[in-house]
Amino acid sequence: MGYSGARGGLEAILAAEDLVRRKRDHAPAPWSSTEQITARFRLAVDRVMGEAGLYDEPTAADAFRQAEGDTLEASHLLRAQRSTLPRLAVSEPVDPGEMTVIRRIVPAFREPDGPQLLGRTSDYTGRLLERPDGRPEPDQEDHAGTSSAERTEEQRSPRRFMDLLRKMELLAEGRTTDDPEPHDITRKPARPPADRSAVLAAMARAESGALVALWYRSILGPDGDVHEITLGELRHGRLPLRVRHPHTGNPVAVGEFRVTEAEAIEDLDGADEDRTRFDIGYGLCFGHNERKAIAMANLDIANRRFGRSGPLEQLLLLTIDGLDSGGFLEHLKLPHYVTFRSMVERKQAMRAAAEAGEDPPARAAEPAGKDCR
Amino acid sequence: MSREHRCALLAEAERAELIELADACIADGAQVRVLVGPEVGCVTAQVREPVLEQRFLLGDVLACRAEVELAGHRGWAMRLGDDRAAALAAAVLDAEAQCGRPRTAEIDLLCERVAERRERRESQEWAELAPTVVAFEELT
Repeated sequence: MGYSGARGGLEAILAAEDLVRRKRDHAPAPWSSTEQITARFRLAVDRVMGEAGLYDEPTAADAFRQAEGDTLEASHLLRAQRSTLPRLAVSEPVDPGEMTVIRRIVPAFREPDGPQLLGRTSDYTGRLLERPDGRPEPDQEDHAGTSSAERTEEQRSPRRFMDLLRKMELLAEGRTTDDPEPHDITRKPARPPADRSAVLAAMARAESGALVALWYRSILGPDGDVHEITLGELRHGRLPLRVRHPHTGNPVAVGEFRVTEAEAIEDLDGADEDRTRFDIGYGLCFGHNERKAIAMANLDIANRRFGRSGPLEQLLLLTIDGLDSGGFLEHLKLPHYVTFRSMVERKQAMRAAAEAGEDPPARAAEPAGKDCR
Repeated sequence: MSREHRCALLAEAERAELIELADACIADGAQVRVLVGPEVGCVTAQVREPVLEQRFLLGDVLACRAEVELAGHRGWAMRLGDDRAAALAAAVLDAEAQCGRPRTAEIDLLCERVAERRERRESQEWAELAPTVVAFEELT
């Protein structure tokens, strides 16, 4: 089997692309409008925005449609779109305490300040598949008038449970007076050892499944970085985005964006830790994605405790980006004819040597591991 | 109404109402100069998390901004999303109100309408959410 150079495939590539376009855009089914996708597939749209690191529902919905529902491919499209856009501003520091909550639960405490607001969720009901026969009947009820509940600041922007723990002097104090500039992972890749801001940013746009898997591995796998699992608080709501007005220099709100926020309580038990107190891990991501925010909060506190003494920080910085891991996986589908042919020839040479009664060549050590790229 | 408050309300106004009023503002032949053409880009959301009160960059939010000069006064606008025409119209309205030109009162009325709409939306949202507040019962 000798090597011969070859070229070709362009026509096949174009035909394959055309097949995608025709089957997707001209499928014998009603067209899915951007509005329909944002309304009917909101969690997928939110996931795409978070993993791409760009918040805009219509753009994410268009990416979701183009990617035929493949959220990772949609995130790829959205992140590529983001890379074409200028940065107009960096917002004023957003205070998550300003969130207007749409859902807020405090699993750790029955009666926190403010409500246990379930919001739009099926968490507490059995999940059974519904197979509706056609479209549901139009909703005739006037939901705006069904509740006379008073709307107060405490209900819409409740004090966080963490404040109560802090007031009870049950929280380890980690706040300092310095205020370092946050690491921008979109401009400069983060490598260990990295600032916490880089780790939080990496987790915020991580592939949701990768983050959850890493969190779960930290509990049940060989790492053991996550110990006690108590979810302090979980919120989904809207936050205002403010920039400096270029003429007055004052902050001005230019709109709102939705986020999911989680706080994970860690029971400190290390020899050099204050065992009379708890610590808190923090998670925040775009849109409504509770699994991701909870995993992030747990991994934040695990990383603060064990990130520098084990592989966790490296895993968080280098392995949870969906586009990185997905891109590497996708490249396996490209031709590897030459690489594989050399492997076959090596096997054949070794077999020929064995049949001739020769000793196999000494195996060279690979101190840096195999280079699989 | 402060300029920042007005900008915030114009950032939330509907595209059609902005464009209609901006067209009316320049209908008297006032000189308009586009200083920064409506540009779509990102605003990076910088968050100060509440645990250690450290800042981090959550991600980017799509936004559009524009800046104009109208009758010698500069107007600026930024809105979320990628609607260039709406951003340009909002900048015209900001300039009109800044120099106290004839349509200022109408701009104030528009801002009031936007604020009322927001209030109604929030009330409606809470009316839907309130029944999902958990009321615990003591079992004795």
